[in-house]
Amino acid sequence: MALRAAVLRHVRVAVQTRGLESNPWFPSGSIRLMSSHDDHLTKEEVADRVLSVIKSFPKVDPSRVTPEVHFQKDLGLDSLDNVEIVMALEEEFKLEIPDKEADKIDSCNLAIEYIHNHPLSS
Amino acid sequence: MASAAISRGEILHLYRSLLRTARQFCDYNIREYTKRRTIDAFRQNQNLTDSSAISAAYSDGKSQLDVAKRQAIVYSLYAPTIKSVMEA
Repeated sequence: MALRAAVLRHVRVAVQTRGLESNPWFPSGSIRLMSSHDDHLTKEEVADRVLSVIKSFPKVDPSRVTPEVHFQKDLGLDSLDNVEIVMALEEEFKLEIPDKEADKIDSCNLAIEYIHNHPLSS
Repeated sequence: MASAAISRGEILHLYRSLLRTARQFCDYNIREYTKRRTIDAFRQNQNLTDSSAISAAYSDGKSQLDVAKRQAIVYSLYAPTIKSVMEA
């Protein structure tokens, strides 16, 4: 027992102290956790993602999709397809587009415009 | 049954409501089935011209929407604990 006490008296365990900087819950940089809508989507990013959603729609020929394309006049879609595309865009950008607005979105341009101006699109 | 003509807007509204309700199911299979069933049914009936046939299909869709809304709530109480491999 005496030996154990003597050994313990002389052994020091190095204690690692973490600075505040390395604490993952309080990052000192400009990253703010849990804050999402600080940086808004750029128009190019919105356009890219809108185009890729439309290109992946089964009835659409991807080579004919341009930012100016009109869903029903140019892509040969009907009003039911139009509803489905707007729903797909809602899912992509985590939005809820009210019926009145959704009925108006009938071309790529309008979709990009609407989503770009929507404060909650992500 | 009331035989007032059903407008295009009302039908599209029903279509959108059904698809929105379909999204609420927590089970992948039921979610996809409801969506597929909605799309197929509207496609099947898109060329109806007889107004009584249209209103019959419309009221059928309405009652299906009620069923879907109710079942979305019921299934949410018994949500699957493991996600489907399809949505992993």
